[in-house]
Amino acid sequence: MRKLKKGIVYLLFAIPVITQLYPLLWLLLYSLKTNEEIQDGSFFSFPRKFQWHNYYEAYTSGSYLKYLSNSVFVTALTMICVILLASMAAYAISRFRWKYGNVVMTIFLMGMMIPMQATLLPLMIIFKNMHILNTHWSLILPYIAFSTPIAVFILSGFMRAIPHEIEESAFIDGASVYRIFRSIILPVSIPPVMTVCILTFINIWNEYILAATFISSERLKTLPFGVYTFVSQYSVNYGNIGAFLVMGALPVILIYFFLSNQITKGMVAGAVKG
Amino acid sequence: MVNRKMKQTATVAFAALMAVSLAACGNSNNNANSKAKDTAAPNAATGSGNAAATDAPSDKKVTITFQNIYPDPATPSYKMIHELTDQYMKEHPNVKIELDTLNTDQQKVKLKTQAASKEIPDITMVNPAAQMKPFVDAGLLAPLNDVLDQNGLKDTYQAGLLDYYSFDNNVYALPDGNNIEVVYYNKDLFAQAGIAAPPTTFEELLKDVKLLKDKGITPLAIGEKDSWTGSFLFMNILLRTNGGPGFLKDVVDGKKTFEDPAFVEAVDAFQQLVAAGAFPDGATSIDANAGGNIFRSGKAAMWVIGTWETGANDASSVAGKVGAFQFPTVNGKGDPNEFMLAPGSAFAVSANSEHLKETKDFLNFFASEYPKKQFELKNAVGIGQKVDGDLKAAGYSELAITVAGLFNQVKGGDLSFDNTMNPATSQVHLSSIQNLFVQKMDSKAVAKEHQAAFEANK
Amino acid sequence: MKVLKVPAYTIAAFILPCLLLYVCLVFVPILVSLYTGLLKWDGLTTSQFVGFGNFKNMFWNDPVFWPSVRRTLLYAVASMLEIPLCLGMAILLNRYLRRANTLVSIYFTPVILSVVIIGQLWKTIYNPTSMGGMLNGVLVSLGLESWTHNWLTEPNIAMYSLYLVSLWQYFGYHLLIQYTGVQNIPDELYEAARIDGADGFKADRYITLPLIIPIFKISIILAFIGSLQAFDLVMVMTGGGPAHATDVISTHMYNSSFLSFKYGYGSAIATFLVVVCLIFTGIINMIFNRLERKFE
Repeated sequence: MRKLKKGIVYLLFAIPVITQLYPLLWLLLYSLKTNEEIQDGSFFSFPRKFQWHNYYEAYTSGSYLKYLSNSVFVTALTMICVILLASMAAYAISRFRWKYGNVVMTIFLMGMMIPMQATLLPLMIIFKNMHILNTHWSLILPYIAFSTPIAVFILSGFMRAIPHEIEESAFIDGASVYRIFRSIILPVSIPPVMTVCILTFINIWNEYILAATFISSERLKTLPFGVYTFVSQYSVNYGNIGAFLVMGALPVILIYFFLSNQITKGMVAGAVKG
Repeated sequence: MVNRKMKQTATVAFAALMAVSLAACGNSNNNANSKAKDTAAPNAATGSGNAAATDAPSDKKVTITFQNIYPDPATPSYKMIHELTDQYMKEHPNVKIELDTLNTDQQKVKLKTQAASKEIPDITMVNPAAQMKPFVDAGLLAPLNDVLDQNGLKDTYQAGLLDYYSFDNNVYALPDGNNIEVVYYNKDLFAQAGIAAPPTTFEELLKDVKLLKDKGITPLAIGEKDSWTGSFLFMNILLRTNGGPGFLKDVVDGKKTFEDPAFVEAVDAFQQLVAAGAFPDGATSIDANAGGNIFRSGKAAMWVIGTWETGANDASSVAGKVGAFQFPTVNGKGDPNEFMLAPGSAFAVSANSEHLKETKDFLNFFASEYPKKQFELKNAVGIGQKVDGDLKAAGYSELAITVAGLFNQVKGGDLSFDNTMNPATSQVHLSSIQNLFVQKMDSKAVAKEHQAAFEANK
Repeated sequence: MKVLKVPAYTIAAFILPCLLLYVCLVFVPILVSLYTGLLKWDGLTTSQFVGFGNFKNMFWNDPVFWPSVRRTLLYAVASMLEIPLCLGMAILLNRYLRRANTLVSIYFTPVILSVVIIGQLWKTIYNPTSMGGMLNGVLVSLGLESWTHNWLTEPNIAMYSLYLVSLWQYFGYHLLIQYTGVQNIPDELYEAARIDGADGFKADRYITLPLIIPIFKISIILAFIGSLQAFDLVMVMTGGGPAHATDVISTHMYNSSFLSFKYGYGSAIATFLVVVCLIFTGIINMIFNRLERKFE
C-alpha cells in the first residue's frame, strides 16, 4: 500500500518533467530537420539526417554575433544597475527607521501593475528629449526601471529578516552605513540577489518591443529583435529559424542551469515567518 | 511586503510623490542628457549645428536613416536595397546610409510611435492613400515634387500611379511597386483534379473547389491570421458584385451604404466559398507567410493574392507549374479585366529631416536606379515604373510573362479596403471578414456592422 | 525591526537613485497615458479634449471591450486556481524527496524560453489534423476523432487553448515559489507536531497552511497581475483573432492604439487596466490579511 502510494507520487513528479522539458528537445529536433520534415508535422520523429547546415546558415545570415554582443552588453549593464540600485533601495526601506518607508514600498509595488506597452509612446517622447533614442541607453534605462519593483520586493523581503544584532554591533564599532551595506548586508543577500538576477535576465533577454522601437541602427540591435525578425521573415526556411531560436535561447538556458540552485534559495527567503 | 497600509497611503503617496519627483525628474534628465551626448549615436550628434550654414552638400558628413521593410536576405528586394545604398555611399563618401530593416508589423508600430513624437526617420515607408493620409495631415512628410522633377524621374512612373500618393497637388511618397490581385494556380494539381481550364465564373470556381476537395487538395491557400489577406479576396468579389469599381468611394460620398445589395451579395458569395471548404483548416491561425507556403509547397491549388508574389513563386518548389488568371465574374456580374489594385508601399521623406537636401538627393538616385536594379534581379513584374527591356529575353519565367500580360489588360479597379477607409473602420472590417472564416453569419448583419462602424468613425 | 536611525541625506542617497529612475520612466509615462486617455487623439494630428468620452464609449459602445475584460478575468481566475495545485505538489515534493531542487529547476524551464519559441511549439501542437497537429494526431490515434478541433480558430475554444499554454508555462514558476516557501518552514515544528500525534495531512492543515499564507499571497498576486497583462503569447499565437475571439484587455489596447489609430482610446483602456489591477490587488491583499489574522 505504502509502495503503491509512493509509486503514484513519483509518477506525479515524472509527468511534468516530460511536459516541461519537452520543448527543449522539440526545439533541438526542429532545428535539425529539413523544411519537408517540419511541414509534415510528424511531431515525435527524429530527423532522417541531422541538418547541421541549418546552424551554419542561421549563423551567417542572421548577424548572430553582433546581436549577441549587444544583448550581452545591455543585459549585463542592466543587471548590475538593477542589483545595485534595488538593493540600496531595499536596504533603506527595510532597515532604516523613517516615516515614508512603506509609502515608497507601495509606490514600487504599484509599478508591477503597469503594462509596458502603455508606456511605449511617452517613453519615446522622453527619450527624444533626452537625445538618447537609438542608443543602448534607451533600452537600459527602461529595463532597469521596469525590473526595479520585483527586485525591491524580493530583496527587501529578505533583508527584513536579517538579524539586526550584526548590524548593531558593527554600528557601535563605528562602521558607516555605507560600509555596513557593502560588507555585511550585500554579502549575506547573495541568494535573493541571484534570484533577482535570473528573473531580470529572463525578462530582458527576451524583450523585443522596446528594442524594435527605440533602436534603429543595425549595429545596435539586440538578439530578441534579431530572433523575431528572423522568425517572421517573408520567405521561410523553418530549419534555419529553429537553429536561430536555439542559438538565441542558448545563453539563457546555460545561465539558468548554472544558477538554478541559487534561485530556489533566494526566491522568498525572507517572506516566511520563522 | 504588500502591506495593509497600502490602501490608505496609496492615493496620498501617489499625489505627493509625483509633485516631488516631477521636479526632480528635470534634473535627472539634464544629467542623463549630458551623459548621453558622449555616447549618442553619430547621427544624433553630428551636423545638428551647421545644417543651415553649408550650401555645398558634397563634403558635409551626414548620416541618413532609411527605414525599410525588406528584411529577408533571400529576396531580391533585400539585395536591391543593399546594392543601391552601397553604390550611393561609394559615390558619396560623406554620406552614410543606415538601414533600419524591420518586418511589416514592426515597422507599422514603430513608425506610428515615432510619428507621435514627431521624430520619423529621414526615409521611411508608408502605404498609399487613406493609410498615409494621417501622416500627411500631421505635416510629417516632405513634398517630393522637386525630387520628381530632377533627372526626369517623374516620367518613369506609370500614368496616374502617383495620384495615390498625392495630396493637394503634392506628391509625398514614391511607390516601390504597382500590383494587381490575380489568382495563381498550380497546373499539376488542376490536372490531377481533372480541371481543364481555369474558372471564369464564380460558379465554376465553386465547382473546381469541390473537385479539388474531393482529391484531398486544399483549394485556396490563405493566411488569415493577417486579416488583410481575406479582405483582399473579399474586395475582389465586391468589385464584381458591384458591377465595377467605386463601391467604397460611393459609401464615403454618401451615395451608398454598406447595406447596399451589392455588398450583401458579396458577403453571401464569400460565405459560399467558406462553406465549400475552399480554405485550409484553421486558416485564421496561419500567418500570411505560412499561408503562402501552403501554395508554394504544392499543397494548395490556388492562391488569390497580389502579383508581388510572382518572384517568390518562381523561386519556390512549384516553379514552372504555376499559372495565373483573372478573378472570375460573380453571378454574371463584373468585368474580369477590372482588378483589385495594389499600389505599393512607398518611400517618404521626413519633413523635419536634418539633412533634407542630401536625403532627397539620395532618394532621387534610389528611385531612378530602382527599376533597372529590380529588372536585373528578375523582380521587375509590378514595379510601377517603366523599364526598358524584354522580359523574355532577360530570362523571366513564363509565369512572369503571363502576369505581365494581365497587367496590359487592366481596365480599372479598386484599392484595398484599408487604403480607402480610415484605420478604425478598416479594423472593424478586417475582423468582420475574419469572422466569416469561423462562423456562418447573416450577411445583412455583417453589412450592418460595417455601416455602424463607418458612421461611428466618420 | 528597523534598527538604523540615519540622517535624511543618507536615506536619500540610498533610495533616490532607484526611485527617481523608476518614477521618471514608469510613473511619468503612465501618468501621461492617463491624461491621453481623456483625449480624442490619433497619435498624429491635433488632439481634442473629450473628458470621459472615451470611457463612455468603452463601457457602452464597444462590442469588443467587455468580452475582452471577461476573458482577461477568466484568465486571472484560471491562473490563480493553478496555485493551490502547485502548493499541493510542493508539499509532496518536500515530503517525498530530500532535495527536489533539480526537479523544481526542470519544471521551471518553460519560463525561461521566449514567447516566440513557446508560440511556435504550441502552434505545432494545436495545428489542425490536415497540418499534422500533434494534439489532434494523438486523439485520432486513440480513436477519438470526434474530439478533434481546430484548437486555435474555433471561437469557443481558442481562448481556452491559450489559457492552457499559459498555465503550462507558469506551472514551474509558482511551484518554485511555493516550494521555497514550504522548505523554509522549520523542521522542528513538524517534529513537535508528530509528538503531539499530528502527521501527514493533519500537520499540513495546522502548520504548513498557516505558515505558507504570505507566500501563497505573493503567488496569487503575481499570477493575477501577470494574467491581467497577458499580451505576448496572445499576439504571437492568435493576434486576438479570429474576429476578437481571443482579445484580452492588453491586446485590445494595443490594437486600438496602433492599428485603429485611436491612441486616446487605447490609453483609456490602459487606465482601466491599471485601475482594475490596483483594485483587485487591494482586495486580494485584504482577504489574505484577514486569513492571516484568523490563523494567528
